Amino acid sequence: MPGTVEIPKEKWTGAIRQVTLGATADQGGSRARTVTVGGETTLPFLFFEGAIPNPPVIALEVQDSYPADWSPVLLQAWGDALRDPATWARKAEELGADLIMLRLRGVNSNGQLTTTAQATATVRAVLQATGLPVIVRGPGQAERDNELLVAVAEAAAGERLALGLCEDKNYRTIVAAALAHGHLVIASSPIDVNLAKQLNILISDMRMPLDRVLMDPTTGALGYGLEYTYSVMERLRIAALTGDSMTQQPMICFVGEESWRQKESRAASGVPAQWGDLEKRSVTWEIVTATTLLESGADIVVLRHPKTVGVIRNTIRKLMAQ
Amino acid sequence: MALSGLEIYKLLPKTNCKECGFPTCLAFAMKLAAKQVELDACPYVSAEAKEALSAAAAPPIRLIKLGSGRREFQIGNETVLFRHEKTFFNKPGLALRIKDTEPAEEITAKVETVHTYGVERVGIEMTFNAIAIENASGDADTFARTVAAARAKTDLPFVLMSNRAEALKAALAQEGGHKPLLYAATVENWEAMAEVAKAGGVSLAVRSRDGLDELADLTTKLSNAGIADLVLDPGSRDLAGSLAQLTQIRRLALKKNYRPLGYPIITFPGEVASSEEEEVVAAAQYVAKYAGIIVLDHFDPAVAYPLLTLRLNIYTDPQKPISVDPGIYEFNHPGADSPLLTTTNFSLTYFSVAGELDGSGIPSWLLVCDAEGMSVLTAWAAGKFDAETIAKAVKTTGVAEKLNHRKLTIPGHVAVLSGELEDELPGWEIQVGPREAVDIPAYLKVWKQ
Amino acid sequence: MCGLWVYEMGTSDERRNRKAIVVFKPGGQVIEVEIGTLLSEAAVLAGVPLNLPCGGQGRCGRCRVKIEHGSVSHRGGVRLSTVDREQGWALGCQTVIKGDVVVLIPEQEKIEVEFKPRVVGAERIAIAAEFSGELDPSIRHVYLRIPPPSLADQTSDWDRLRRELVLQHGIQNVSASLSTLRTLSRDLREAEWNVTAVLDMGDPILDPCAHPRLIDLLPGDQTDRCYGVAIDIGTTSNVVYLVDLRSGRVIDRASAYNAQIQVGEDVISRIIFAQKQDGLQRLQRLVIKTLNGLLEELTTRNQIPPRQISKAVVAGNTTMIQLFLELDPRYIREMPFIPTLSQPLPVTAEEVGLAINPQATVDCLPVVGAYVGADITAGVLASGMYDTDALTLFIDVGTNGEIVLGNRDWLITCACSAGPAFEGSGVRHGMRATAGAIEEVWIDARTYEPTCQTIGNLPARGICGSGMIGLLAEMFITGIIDKAGKIRRDLPTPRVRVGDHGGEYVVVWANQSAVGTDIVINEVDIENLLRTKGAIYAGFSVLVRSVGVELADVEQVFIAGAFGQYINIEKAIQIGLLPDMPWDRFHYLGNTSALGAFYALVSRPMRRQVVEIARKMTYLELSADNSFYDQFMSALFLPHTDLTAFPSVIRLLERTGS
Repeated sequence: MPGTVEIPKEKWTGAIRQVTLGATADQGGSRARTVTVGGETTLPFLFFEGAIPNPPVIALEVQDSYPADWSPVLLQAWGDALRDPATWARKAEELGADLIMLRLRGVNSNGQLTTTAQATATVRAVLQATGLPVIVRGPGQAERDNELLVAVAEAAAGERLALGLCEDKNYRTIVAAALAHGHLVIASSPIDVNLAKQLNILISDMRMPLDRVLMDPTTGALGYGLEYTYSVMERLRIAALTGDSMTQQPMICFVGEESWRQKESRAASGVPAQWGDLEKRSVTWEIVTATTLLESGADIVVLRHPKTVGVIRNTIRKLMAQ
Repeated sequence: MALSGLEIYKLLPKTNCKECGFPTCLAFAMKLAAKQVELDACPYVSAEAKEALSAAAAPPIRLIKLGSGRREFQIGNETVLFRHEKTFFNKPGLALRIKDTEPAEEITAKVETVHTYGVERVGIEMTFNAIAIENASGDADTFARTVAAARAKTDLPFVLMSNRAEALKAALAQEGGHKPLLYAATVENWEAMAEVAKAGGVSLAVRSRDGLDELADLTTKLSNAGIADLVLDPGSRDLAGSLAQLTQIRRLALKKNYRPLGYPIITFPGEVASSEEEEVVAAAQYVAKYAGIIVLDHFDPAVAYPLLTLRLNIYTDPQKPISVDPGIYEFNHPGADSPLLTTTNFSLTYFSVAGELDGSGIPSWLLVCDAEGMSVLTAWAAGKFDAETIAKAVKTTGVAEKLNHRKLTIPGHVAVLSGELEDELPGWEIQVGPREAVDIPAYLKVWKQ
Repeated sequence: MCGLWVYEMGTSDERRNRKAIVVFKPGGQVIEVEIGTLLSEAAVLAGVPLNLPCGGQGRCGRCRVKIEHGSVSHRGGVRLSTVDREQGWALGCQTVIKGDVVVLIPEQEKIEVEFKPRVVGAERIAIAAEFSGELDPSIRHVYLRIPPPSLADQTSDWDRLRRELVLQHGIQNVSASLSTLRTLSRDLREAEWNVTAVLDMGDPILDPCAHPRLIDLLPGDQTDRCYGVAIDIGTTSNVVYLVDLRSGRVIDRASAYNAQIQVGEDVISRIIFAQKQDGLQRLQRLVIKTLNGLLEELTTRNQIPPRQISKAVVAGNTTMIQLFLELDPRYIREMPFIPTLSQPLPVTAEEVGLAINPQATVDCLPVVGAYVGADITAGVLASGMYDTDALTLFIDVGTNGEIVLGNRDWLITCACSAGPAFEGSGVRHGMRATAGAIEEVWIDARTYEPTCQTIGNLPARGICGSGMIGLLAEMFITGIIDKAGKIRRDLPTPRVRVGDHGGEYVVVWANQSAVGTDIVINEVDIENLLRTKGAIYAGFSVLVRSVGVELADVEQVFIAGAFGQYINIEKAIQIGLLPDMPWDRFHYLGNTSALGAFYALVSRPMRRQVVEIARKMTYLELSADNSFYDQFMSALFLPHTDLTAFPSVIRLLERTGS
């Protein structure tokens, strides 16, 4: 006859590093508040065997020029706010975002390359419009990233921005700029545990303190590689808790970007009737992607749709209820 | 506890007789350790070894089969906590709940909708697996009538939900022999429930209102009463609580081989949800974290499709190499005069090539061939990236229509293919690119039509 | 790195003010220095600078000196054993002068000769030229004085010969081929009925139906001339040992590139070539041409008629064996990777075209699977791992890396496509381990200047396998490349520059090389080397884990392959090619394939043992094992993504500050 069931608990020896984004005036920046992520000593939301000192947080994506290529569902939800990064960021804060993720597209709506002056002006405008800590991502092309992010790092010295993306082929310049001006970096690797760890080691070898490094395992959206990201994140988190120092970085997932790129989030017609209504389907797509990645260890989810923010905020609150 | 290949090997005859179908005893032992073969295949295994090994071999989570014919589905039999450790085997069944208090026409419409709903993804038809019918009226006849009406519309298996054994008995008579699940035995009613389940030869869900101790106590009693096919409802409904409970149950079953909780789990994401979105979130959690059956209270294709897709994703075998979809990929807005390169669909091969193409700033096309997710050299060695494969990809994708030229660059590592490929693709000029992705930008800079 | 030095300098003002006299022998230079000065610095002041290839980090051990009298203190000194210390040996760069000292600077060549084994970490075990077990070749030469026929005894020649073999030597049931019989009558009469019968006795224990076969009839008593050859057919190079079957000694050996290289560098290319019209026949003829060239070289040099070579034992990978026998290798390449046979049947030299006695037995050793061939069964035989209780790892680094794990009770094996980087192929300035190849490199951690040692001390022509390992390790330890193998572009040396394949490092300037151009290593080369070492490390990691043991449980590691004259274990560990274990667990065995063939040639019990080895070996197909890919990615890093698996390397990095 079973008496009391003995709950098996893992004896984890490692913890995720705590990483703080943003700096207040006292700390040399201008943010109204800072956001700290990480610190977990257990797998996601398993309070019965460890602590989760900081809840996962939500970042909303803002771009430096009008995202004409976005899904009509997003364009409609945001309206004219999309035409001005500062307005957009302000609205994102009102919607309950914890962070602003500013994406520098590197070209304006006329297709011209943005200059470093324009990029830094946009970053300054966003910093002025919101008191939230800010993540800044470059266009994603090595030379342009280095050019723009170095200027941004300098212009926003002391703000503790998170700069990205650092990849194995192109991390030295961004890491050096972040080091010099008191920012964080996002280390991005293509859905592979070993590559993620290797990049952390390389960045650490540049004397970047690891409490200034976020890890982007590369997000696959629902139906587009989500399961790979899910498992890589679980493996990274288990390695971290097992004591593997070079995997103990908080993880950031660019959920919105990946989710809204897919046909399921864009196509209203010419798709099977079984797909259902576009708006509901596309928002659900983002919600399901975000939820699943939170369950596998995401510390920051970067979202796009206003409605998703509310649902995911509520989800995090419920998951953090002990 | 799982034994390693060497530990099992020590229990085998070590004669390398090959009669099991494997070349050596060690090879057989490793297959046994991986649970890919039965011990019976060895004709000479000793009784002592058999005993030691069979304890290690029994599935820690019982396999439960529901439904019949084309609608049969199975749950349980899982062997890992994390899908990367091996794979998750049996997808959780998705069900829609109806109540016998709803208007008949609504019930019929819902049943029909779920019955006919099917959506295809990567060649796989995804459907719901069951209908849950709840005896909300409390009346056995109403319940039985509703079940009969539903059965007239579908061959999907049912989860019959009532806390009264006689209601379930009445419903079972109308159910039509499609292997339903009865829900649920509790502290109060378990003996009566056991009788109904036993008489009907069907699976029985067990609900605890007081955590895992009560649950284990109940399953032990039911098991002793001869009910082998059980499904667990540990009681928690909130996100955090049920995540903890379901994780604990899976761990107890797998790591402690704790038989009283070695059964699949039924979940109800809608029960504490204040909105349809909340229900979706809970259902998503249950797909990833250990549910055997997920009973929803809403059905909308715009929600069903993402959930079915998630289930497909999570239950994909992670041991298959990570691949990208074959096809044509564009970099830097290529035009009809831009170069065309080809590579395989192994994800890291693709990522390294794509990274260089993108980073070069030069417009280009990349034809990704289906090489079963292997890298260029591996695929070539295995005959999966040969002239025939590449030619087929060129033809089926119709990439020629996008180009003014007929020039294709192949990876330097497979330079040997160029002659054969020119035979397969008359009119095309095959160019040999660099061996390493890192040299692609330099190659593109001097590439001329 | 100078923390300790500062500490010693700063301990006492009194010391700082005191001076010491240092005398350098054999030159007799005298210099006065402050106490606390490094011996290597004193040597510079005295005008007899020590050789400091590693830049004075105590890594290379090339600045060894002998302290004849006087007081010194040592810092590190991993290079010195206790015995060395007791004998007064010290590293100039790690020795602090404490008082008046007399120092002997040995001749540089002596350092190299005397200390290479220890510097190398694992001594090179010379390939045994003799077989130490009991000789028992299948070939027997028996002398017969045959009573000539007469009218009274009209027994046929063949029956007469058989009768005498029974009567004089107890040898029954001898058979012969038609071509032997065709010359029988003439041979007997020309020899005036005194002949030496060359017989292959077969092995009745291995094959109960085996019976002796007459290979040749030689005139007179030639029982003292009995030869065989052991052949290793490698994908890249072929080796032939000429063996005296009576003494069991290797008389001579010769090697050459496999002529099949002209149609493809690796096994897969050859298999594909074999599918072409006449491809298989061409490949067979090419390898025979190579082997016959070697046989001619050996027989000429040793003045042995090819006819006196009565047996050849052949080892090689499965594809090479099939091509040698002209068996279509097509299904080796295609899933599920099946060779035509695993225990090749003996054939005659005539049938395959080997230029030895046409009736000589050609015996190919058994294979395990498509990618674990007779080179490995022979290697396991030569290594002796089949006969030990110690958990042993056997690594054969060739174009394919083959790995065997096990002991007396069990053996498991796998193969991984390593690539030919360590054989000198696939790397821009790579070459085989022949004259002029750089085989050892040290890099000064301050100036990034390399010191190279070449085979034969000739101007450098390229870099061989052991040189690659050394070079990669030195570039890594001195910080020229990062852990991902990328060259740091911002170093203050003209040797680092950007070339056609990304960053590159100049190992030898054009004016000092024998090839007239700079000898460089570039990032693509490094990637190739990382892939090769990564595949091998991943291969044995997966193999070890597949049976549920840990790398640390491995008690000895045998290394076979064509790196060069030796493999520097320490550096191979630094780049993560070999696991981080005490050096004394490693043993370099050289070409074990040829060695195993030699053993099987001279000893029937050994030949039977190869069969047992092949039968016992369990083959693990890595392509069916998803952990291989993971392990491979993990090993594509210096030394490895799991840094904790390489504690000695991490300690070294911390010590050198890179």
